Amino acid sequence: MTDKNDDIDFSMVLASSVHDMKNSVGMLLASLEGVIEETPPTSPAQAHRFSTLHYEASRINSELIQLLTIYRMQNDFLPVRIDEHFVFDVIEDQVARNHILLETKGINLDIECDDTLSWYFDQDLIGSVLHNVIVNCARYTKSAILVTAMIEDEMLAMTVEDNGPGYPDAMLRRPAGQINDSLVNEGQTHLGLFFADKIASFHKQSNRCGYIQLNNESKLGGGCFKLVIP
Amino acid sequence: MAELNYKDLSVLVADDFSSFRSIVNGLLQSLGVTKVDMASSGEDAISLCQEKPYDVILCDYNLGQGRNGQHVLEELRHRSLLGKESIFIMVSAEAARNIVMSAYDCEPDDYLMKPITARSLQQRMDRLLRLKRVMKPVYQALEQSNVYGAMDRLTEMSLAEDRYSLYAQKMLGELFIREGQLDKAERLYTRALEVRQVDWARLGLARVKQLKGDLDLAETWLERIVEDNPLFLPAYDVLAENWEQKGERLHVQSTVQRAVDISPMSILRQKRLSDVALLNKDFDTAISALRKTVRLGELSCHGKAEDSIDFARLVSSTIEQKLNVAGVSIAEALEYLDAARDRYELDANRQAQCKLLSGRIHAIDGNAEMAEHFLEEANMVMDLDALDIDLDLDHVSILLALEKNKEANARLDELKVKYMHDQDALQKLDEFLTEPVSDANREMIAEVNREGIDLYKHGEFDAALACFERVRELFPKHVGIQLNIAQTLIGKLKSGQADDKVVNHCQSSLDLVASLIDPDHPQYSRYCQLRRMAIAA
Repeated sequence: MTDKNDDIDFSMVLASSVHDMKNSVGMLLASLEGVIEETPPTSPAQAHRFSTLHYEASRINSELIQLLTIYRMQNDFLPVRIDEHFVFDVIEDQVARNHILLETKGINLDIECDDTLSWYFDQDLIGSVLHNVIVNCARYTKSAILVTAMIEDEMLAMTVEDNGPGYPDAMLRRPAGQINDSLVNEGQTHLGLFFADKIASFHKQSNRCGYIQLNNESKLGGGCFKLVIP
Repeated sequence: MAELNYKDLSVLVADDFSSFRSIVNGLLQSLGVTKVDMASSGEDAISLCQEKPYDVILCDYNLGQGRNGQHVLEELRHRSLLGKESIFIMVSAEAARNIVMSAYDCEPDDYLMKPITARSLQQRMDRLLRLKRVMKPVYQALEQSNVYGAMDRLTEMSLAEDRYSLYAQKMLGELFIREGQLDKAERLYTRALEVRQVDWARLGLARVKQLKGDLDLAETWLERIVEDNPLFLPAYDVLAENWEQKGERLHVQSTVQRAVDISPMSILRQKRLSDVALLNKDFDTAISALRKTVRLGELSCHGKAEDSIDFARLVSSTIEQKLNVAGVSIAEALEYLDAARDRYELDANRQAQCKLLSGRIHAIDGNAEMAEHFLEEANMVMDLDALDIDLDLDHVSILLALEKNKEANARLDELKVKYMHDQDALQKLDEFLTEPVSDANREMIAEVNREGIDLYKHGEFDAALACFERVRELFPKHVGIQLNIAQTLIGKLKSGQADDKVVNHCQSSLDLVASLIDPDHPQYSRYCQLRRMAIAA
């Protein structure tokens, strides 16, 4: 980049190219889901291949969406629209989005949430956090995922739990949402957690601020991701 | 609740990718939908909706060339092609509806992110169909103009504390405001705000305060809303209205400007910005906003031929008055006029107006022959029985541009008589006259004159000048005002507060008067007297 005319904003180029990739992956996912619907797998090996295909494509899609969202956060293009929404609807939307992934992996997902429970948040941002966590749990859980939502201490508390091996110690010790350079070098960005924490913190109400928390005290025996919105 | 019946639903799918259309069609078939129509562009979608109403429209935001999903929605709503019970779902590959939707005024019923799965689609459609089913009695009451019936039903729903109470509350608040039941609206919004400070209720309360005439309180509320949520466009609109009512035009402009910065695609706001900037004599902003209005009008249902006509008129007058507005080009104005003639169905007089303005622009450009040609053409198409003041004045303007001053003045005299009883028209006419003829402008001039003369008598020459200059801006050819300015400057000279600038200023005022009057003019003797005094001072 020595020539003056080359003085382009690389992050913007990257962002628009990410945007393009995301649309392609979206088409790819939609077609793949069509294929799985039309020709259901005939053997466990085939089911496994389908689910790998679907899971990896979903992951790329979510990762790209996160990148774009972070780019927008940094450039203040990210409008946060807080309104009243039914919590059950938002959970149900994310489960529906991942229903093929869950089905092909034979995972049973339960929702525990009063369907008249409403709360104040940006439904797309919170939806994308739930989506990422569900996709992540689908990867590590043995057979079950439980999503719960209730009011605790005048805040909305949502959890996503599984019966997998739980979160590694290193992750539990680190304050959620911090990206650590050494981990990035090992290829573990935990971008998803950074993203989730950022989004939680966008939700503020009378001096209280949203946050996320990880623990391994799930009722199902595995990890538990908790999102709290004031 | 009875089961929803997908078999009888008619659905329209609009997307520019055929592969996506067939995927969605497959999903719909799997849900039992049998009546599916397809559109591959915004234009197709709109023309299909003209033929028959659909229960559900799934429209992609991005439709390739031409109109996008937002244009489609805007037009369907604008032309009442979308019934209250119909469902419009915007589909997009965008990560967040906010990115796509935050800058628009027309909200779809819902928003679905790609990739779509059968289950997501079914969930959304189920929810919306149930909502519309619950709301049906309200819609019916409103259609029968039974407002009280609708209010009663909505009140019941608001209090039910179920899935539909929030939707009902928002709608009820709107209805109370529309019907002028401000106390009820205020109670509704206040109750909602006791639970949580949500934008829709804060805005509702601000609107109620505004309607009750408490503009200061409304302003405080509105400023707080936009501070907390800078992207909440409706708040800016209400805030602009608030400044309008306070008579603070500069604030109106800066508020509309803020909204336009957030939402540059909103044609109606661009138009509003242009209008208010023009009143504020901020020609740069007026022209640039009007240019955007014309361009957005190419795809929007809110595009009008008048925007191109106004643009051409504004460009002409800024060039004639040598206002040096950046980026103004004669070619662009001509191009917009041509495009307007192609795009819109113009009646005879609008066509004539386009020709008059094209001619005027050619005259300004020094091409008198072209100008004459357009003037002739305009005269041929004009419907002489149905001329309005704007067209009449465009006619005068081209005469002036062609330096046919005698003809123009004769025409102006005729117009004074023609519009004798139309004060709005007379105000427009005033801009062309040496002496205003409309009551409002006459009174204003008389008022300012009294004030200026009083200041002059007390020796406050600069304040008096400022007073007269205000009027001169509006009526550059007003002889009385010019002479008052000259007299004040002479007063300044006599009191020894003078420099060369004052001498020159005085000279040019008197020269201007000389060009406007002849010895028969009632003010001629006063003019000669001031000339002598200026030389003596």
